[in-house]
Amino acid sequence: MAVEVRRIDDYLWEIPQQGPMLVPGRIYADDESMRQLRSESGAREWDALLQVRNVACLPGIRFASLAMADIHPGYGFPIGGVGAFDGREGVVSIAGVGFDINCGVRAMSIDLPRAEIERRREQVADELFQSVPAGIGSTGLIRLGSGEIDRVLVTGARFALERGYGVAEDLEYVEDGGVVEGADPACVSDRAKERQFKQIGTLGSGNHYLEVQYVEEIFERDAAAAFGIEEGGVVVSIHTGSRALGHQIGTDYQSVLRAASRKYGIPVPENELMAAPINSPEGRSYIAAVKAGINCAFANRQAIGGLVRNVFQRLFSLDDSRMRTLYEVGHNNLRFETHEIEGRPERLLVHRKGATRALAAGRPEVPARYRDVGQPVLVGGTMGTASYILVGTERGMRETFGSAVHGAGRLKSRKRALKDYSGQGVIRECARAGVTLRVHSRKGAAEEAPGAYKDVERVVAIMEGAGVNRRVARLRPMICIKG
Amino acid sequence: MMKARGHETVEHTADMGLHAWGRSCEEAFEEAAGALMDLMTDRRGLEGRLRFDLAVTGEDQAELLVEFLNEMLSLADIEEAVLIGVSVERCLDEGDCWSLRAVVSGVPRDACRGRMLREVKAVTWYGTSVAREENGPWVARCVVDL
Repeated sequence: MAVEVRRIDDYLWEIPQQGPMLVPGRIYADDESMRQLRSESGAREWDALLQVRNVACLPGIRFASLAMADIHPGYGFPIGGVGAFDGREGVVSIAGVGFDINCGVRAMSIDLPRAEIERRREQVADELFQSVPAGIGSTGLIRLGSGEIDRVLVTGARFALERGYGVAEDLEYVEDGGVVEGADPACVSDRAKERQFKQIGTLGSGNHYLEVQYVEEIFERDAAAAFGIEEGGVVVSIHTGSRALGHQIGTDYQSVLRAASRKYGIPVPENELMAAPINSPEGRSYIAAVKAGINCAFANRQAIGGLVRNVFQRLFSLDDSRMRTLYEVGHNNLRFETHEIEGRPERLLVHRKGATRALAAGRPEVPARYRDVGQPVLVGGTMGTASYILVGTERGMRETFGSAVHGAGRLKSRKRALKDYSGQGVIRECARAGVTLRVHSRKGAAEEAPGAYKDVERVVAIMEGAGVNRRVARLRPMICIKG
Repeated sequence: MMKARGHETVEHTADMGLHAWGRSCEEAFEEAAGALMDLMTDRRGLEGRLRFDLAVTGEDQAELLVEFLNEMLSLADIEEAVLIGVSVERCLDEGDCWSLRAVVSGVPRDACRGRMLREVKAVTWYGTSVAREENGPWVARCVVDL
C-alpha cells in the first residue's frame, strides 16, 4: 500500500503520525521528486517513503523521522535519512549508520589558478591516479605495527598526521577535530582490525572519488570569503570512508543488535532496523565501535589528504601554506547532540544515513574562522556534473537537527545504469563536459554515470527553498579519479 | 520454465538484491553465494587455486544466510583472494541453532585484478528470507550494500 503523504509547503511534506508511528515523517521534496517517490511507494519492493515511516516507529525517536532532498531507498533507513533518539530512553539502530561508517568528504582549497590545472590536466590526473591507492582490493602505503590499529581507532586523523600525512592545521577544519572521544577498540573485533590492516589511506571503489574542481559560481560572497574561495579557484575533494573496518563493524553488530531487539522487546518494523537501547551493554558497545569506525575514516581521509598535498607539491612546487583543508564532514554517522525541541534542550543521539551535519552561524563547534557564517556543508555531485558547498541555517537547526543533503541521490539502479550507459560512453560524456576521468573499473564508471543520479541542482534548490541550507558555491569537476 | 537452481540480481536503487533458488537449502545457499560472487567478479574461465573451509552458525536459516555470505566477504578480504566457487556441504538444524559447512575456492587477487567488478560492503538484513515454497524450490533473498 502506498504511504500517505501530505503537503506542508512547497518543499516540505509530512507522513502523518498513524498506527505504530511515534512521530510524523517529514520529507524535503519538490512536486516532481515527490511524484517519483509516490509512484514507487507501495508499487515496488524498495520504498523510500515506507522507510521514513518505519524509522518513525523506533522507540525514543523525537520530533520526526526526517528525509533530506536526496532521499532514495536504502536498507532500513532511507538514504538522506535523519533520526534523533532520546539520549536516555531511545535506541541506536544499525541501519541509521550503515556499513560505510563516517563516509564523508574532505575539500581542500588549492592556491593555484584554474588555468594552471587546465594546462597540465593529463599529468595531474595521472599523478593523482598513481599516487592515491584506489580500486577494489587496493592497499594503502601506511604499514601498521602490531597493535597500532588500536591507536588509529582512538586517535583518528592525528594518527595519520603523526605518520607525516598533512599538517596540524588540517585538524581544525575537520568535523570534531578529526577525532571523537569514546571510541573503544575492545568493542571492535580482531577480524575488523585485520581487514583494515592494509587499507588505511585507500579511496575504495563504487561511489568514492577524488576530484579536482574549480569554483564555477559563488552564491554568497560573505560565506565564500570566510571559506577562502573565489570564482575560478581550485578545490580538491576526497570522498571516502572507514573502508573494511566500518564494513566489518556493521557486519559484526548485525547479530548483536538483532539479538538485542528481541531481548529488549524492541518492535522492529523491518529486519534491518534492528536496534538496542542506547543505555544497554549492546547499545553502548555498538556506539563505542561506531566511534572507532568514525576515527578510522578520519585517519583515512587525513592520509589521502597528505598524498594529495605531495602531488601538488611535486607538480607545482606548492608549499603546505597554499593548500588548506577547507572542511571535512561525514554523512554516515552517529553523534550525541543537544537540540531544542518545543523550546527545551534535549540530549539526542542523532543518526545521519546519507545526510550531512549543517551547523548554523554562531555554533561553538564551527571553526572560529567560519563561525560568523556557519559550517561548510560538502555535497558531492556526480562525475561530469557539479558539487556544492552549502551552509547551515537556524531554520535547519530547528527543523532538521542541523542537517543537510549529502549528494545528488541515486535515481536509477545499477542494473538500469548498466543497461543505459557503457563505461566508454561515460568517459566520452565526461570528456565532453570537460572532465578528465581516470577509472579503475569501466563497469564501475557505467554504474556511476551522471544520468543515474538525481539532478544535484534540484536537490540543493529544494533545501534552499525550504530555508534549511543555503548555497555558497558550485564546484565544477576538471579531473575525476574513480576507484 | 525456471531452472531447478539458479540466481539473479534484483533491482534496488542504491544497492542490489539477490534472489537464489535450489532443490535443497544447500543448493539455494550455493546459488546465493554464486550471485554474490558474480557481483564481485567475472568468474568465467578462472580456476580456483586456493581452498578455504568455512563454518558458520545462525539462530535460524535467515541468519545462517547472512552470516555465510558475510563470512565470504571477510574471507576474501583477509586472504586477499577473489572467490570463484563454493560447495555447501550441509545446512543443519542443530536444535538450538543452524550450522553450515562449505568449501570455498579462490584465486589470489593479484592474479586476476582485471576480473574484479565491484566491492560489496556487506550483506544486510533488509528483506532477507530463506524459505521453501510449497512443493517447490528453496528460495533465499537478501540485499547487499554496494
